[in-house]
Amino acid sequence: MEPAPPDWPRAGDEIRARSFGPFAREALARYAAVSGDDNPLHLDPNAARAAGLAGPPVHGMLMLSCFEPLIMGWRRDLFIARLSGKFLRPVLTGEGIRVSGRVMRRRDVPRPELTLRLIARAQNNDLAILGEATVLYKIPRPL
Amino acid sequence: MKALHDHAQSREEMAPEPSADAPVSLPPIRVRTGAGEVAGFLRETGGARNGDFVPLTFPFRWLALPAIRGLILQLIGGDGFLPVHEAQSFAYERELRVEADYVLSVEARRTAKPPRLTLKIAVSTGQGEICAQLETVLRIVPLNLEPAS
Repeated sequence: MEPAPPDWPRAGDEIRARSFGPFAREALARYAAVSGDDNPLHLDPNAARAAGLAGPPVHGMLMLSCFEPLIMGWRRDLFIARLSGKFLRPVLTGEGIRVSGRVMRRRDVPRPELTLRLIARAQNNDLAILGEATVLYKIPRPL
Repeated sequence: MKALHDHAQSREEMAPEPSADAPVSLPPIRVRTGAGEVAGFLRETGGARNGDFVPLTFPFRWLALPAIRGLILQLIGGDGFLPVHEAQSFAYERELRVEADYVLSVEARRTAKPPRLTLKIAVSTGQGEICAQLETVLRIVPLNLEPAS
């Protein structure tokens, strides 16, 4: 079992925020193609209006996917064992998000583990996603 | 920005009544993490690392497989309703590998109040070792199909 490295994060440490997007209509169409999520809510303004929105919202999963590069850009010596998120507010096509994180809990046994609070905010600072991740220490792969 | 949520909440009683809240399971589904599909997914999801790994959220794309999509459409209740993604989780025992074969176990449960569909999917190796589990919660939103005035 690998012990925690000397620079293993502590509770309260911040993950520097990163911006993703803006997510243009074309980006949503490309994401729909690679993910298979072609729900018209995200692609068709009429469907979005029928659902009570001002315009098509960005796929929640596209935004949730941004947490992986956020975490792995912070530290490469992690295995993301769990990621969860609640989609709280829609982010509309053409807008971007700012994602950030904070270490909520550190455990060293039985193996180094961190619990992260993750947040994605819309351009207007609305909370779009409230997420959580559990990450484990692992020896990083060579570049 | 709150419109969707308020709108949906106020019309929840309009969602179709399910026949039962009992879970529905599908027969095992074989899938593969094809290199081309993985690379395309990485390209569109801000992946900064090289392409020899499977992005954590990649298994979500398997919800679009005909068998799973068909089950979702059947359970949400037809053309007058849209699934709105409310929550998602992934739990990994081990990372998925590129160009590897896996087996999906799918269970769906429709609840009436509130009108939601929850899918639980386990991703296993051909030998039955579970690699990952994902849970998808969809709110079922009735569409306002009347022309806008």
